Amino acid sequence: MTAQLVNAPTGRVLLLMATQTYRASAFLEAASRLEIPVAVGSEQPQPLAHLNPGGHLLVDFHDLEGATDRIVEFSANYPLEAILSTDDDGVVLAAMASDALGLSHNPLLAVRAARDKYQTRQALAGAGMATPKFQRFSIDDDPGEAARQISYPCVVKPLALAASRGVMRADDPDEFVAAFGRLATILETVEVSELNPGGYQILVESYLSGVEVAVEGLLFQGELTVLAIFDKPDPLVGPFFEETLYVTPSRHSEAVQREIVAETQQAITALGLTEGPVHVELRINEAGCWILEVAPRSIGGYCSRALRFGAGISLEELILQHALGLPLASTHPATPASGVMMIPIPRAGILCEVQGVGQAQAVPGIDEIRITIPVGRAVVPLPEGSQYLGFIFARDQTPELAEAALRAAHSRLNFIIT
Amino acid sequence: MIEITAAAQQRLQEILAEKEGDLLGLLVGIKGRGPAGFEHYMRFIGEIDKPEGALVTAVGELRIFIPPDNADNLKGSTIDFSAAKGAFNIENPNPAWVWPDPLAQSVQDVLTKQINPAVAAHGGAVQLLEVKDQVAYIELGGGCVGCGMVDVTLKQGIEVAIKEAVPEILAVVDTTDHASGTNPYFQPDKADPHHQPAKGGQAPRSPFA
Repeated sequence: MTAQLVNAPTGRVLLLMATQTYRASAFLEAASRLEIPVAVGSEQPQPLAHLNPGGHLLVDFHDLEGATDRIVEFSANYPLEAILSTDDDGVVLAAMASDALGLSHNPLLAVRAARDKYQTRQALAGAGMATPKFQRFSIDDDPGEAARQISYPCVVKPLALAASRGVMRADDPDEFVAAFGRLATILETVEVSELNPGGYQILVESYLSGVEVAVEGLLFQGELTVLAIFDKPDPLVGPFFEETLYVTPSRHSEAVQREIVAETQQAITALGLTEGPVHVELRINEAGCWILEVAPRSIGGYCSRALRFGAGISLEELILQHALGLPLASTHPATPASGVMMIPIPRAGILCEVQGVGQAQAVPGIDEIRITIPVGRAVVPLPEGSQYLGFIFARDQTPELAEAALRAAHSRLNFIIT
Repeated sequence: MIEITAAAQQRLQEILAEKEGDLLGLLVGIKGRGPAGFEHYMRFIGEIDKPEGALVTAVGELRIFIPPDNADNLKGSTIDFSAAKGAFNIENPNPAWVWPDPLAQSVQDVLTKQINPAVAAHGGAVQLLEVKDQVAYIELGGGCVGCGMVDVTLKQGIEVAIKEAVPEILAVVDTTDHASGTNPYFQPDKADPHHQPAKGGQAPRSPFA
């Protein structure tokens, strides 16, 4: 469906995306439907950039000042109206370049704090919010000594990696030392160190029992508009914290949902975030709602396909409309319930075959199944891995039915990994 | 118009002998254009299946029917049968990048001259499948498939270049089927020669469909 723009943009939107992103398709489709001109800023040269120089920009996400200069220079030839990062990698650059160009965006300091789980914890604690005990270590610290400084059970996590990568639970000092060493090894890899602004540091938090939810929203001058609250019906108790099911609307009581929204708003205010998409993760237990992280970006992977608004408007359309100061087409869910399953990698090996896609697709309520790792590729499970085998999407009349459809479809899939 | 090797004639006669019903002969046509050239189909037909205006030729005892709109693009083709592979192959000397429709030819020229040389440097390939109602249908192959930035290449490169050079084109649609085994997401065992990329793209599919 094509949404009508009330005020057509005069410039373009710069979309910052790393070449490994899952998010290109959704944002470019949204821009196309809205007829919004976009340029793509990525860290690798694109093969057809010479045919459309105003549509491409080569930027180094790790050289923030150099990349900002390039964006400012680019904007002189191709005026920009907004800069958005599709994933974590570009959020700090988007804030810095927006600042340089005087474009509406989150404050740089707020984005930096949100990208660093330790700084996030400090900000939340400073604002008087409920926070688990937390302590930061360097990977060079003696894990045995660190093990004596903390209480158990605890969770060991990197400061900035996404998708639960490197997050491990430890119930005693031995498990802690093992988890510490494992995370240190992950952080020492080149790939991670290039993408991880937290460097070689480890955050240790006391373990929070309870269930998890995720809030997807948009910020307008610091005020949160909730687009969806996802329940995560699979237990997340460790030793790793693999994301699987996201189902919306939430089945928590209205009172609990009000508390989720209130805590989310308080965390956003504490961090100083003001504009654009946010994805917030919380844990809920008998003591209340606990913020796990606040990401100044939209939901990752292909998961946004689980969300449709109004007559089929995508999350990315809303984000683009917001970025340009246009009225949002609709924030009402298009279907009574929907969900997504991130298909976990059961073990390491080579993915040889995917069986049962047709049978899984035939499950009532299943909208789409996307296998995203090519056959023949190596697959690595958590905590070292950062990918999923694919995504299953469902839409149904109730969240219970959507969840049942996702589970039924997943049970029909068989991944041959050798 | 079409030649059939002795091995192919023998195998076709064997297949025909196994079939029941009143069959007229073999229908040979073009089902699409792939990276390695035209993709063909063959099947035995009865009177009811004979395309209107089909060209008829005889090779030995076998009657060959060709849809009239495929005749030019099949001229000089040779049907062969490999006993070792157990498969037919059609060698078609006609270039798949020549189109009778001027609009399709204009799109093809953009792909040939501007787009494919650039994406080939990244291991990719783009084929025009059809232009219909001012919409260009394309298929991506090689390194484009499975690349996280394929949509950037499509929307920010291919679509922009085609629309700029051929303003009559209203949309460019990527028909690459990511769920049917025609790309690396679901590529079967790499040892299967029928799924090995050929000349920067997919191998031609068996014509007997």
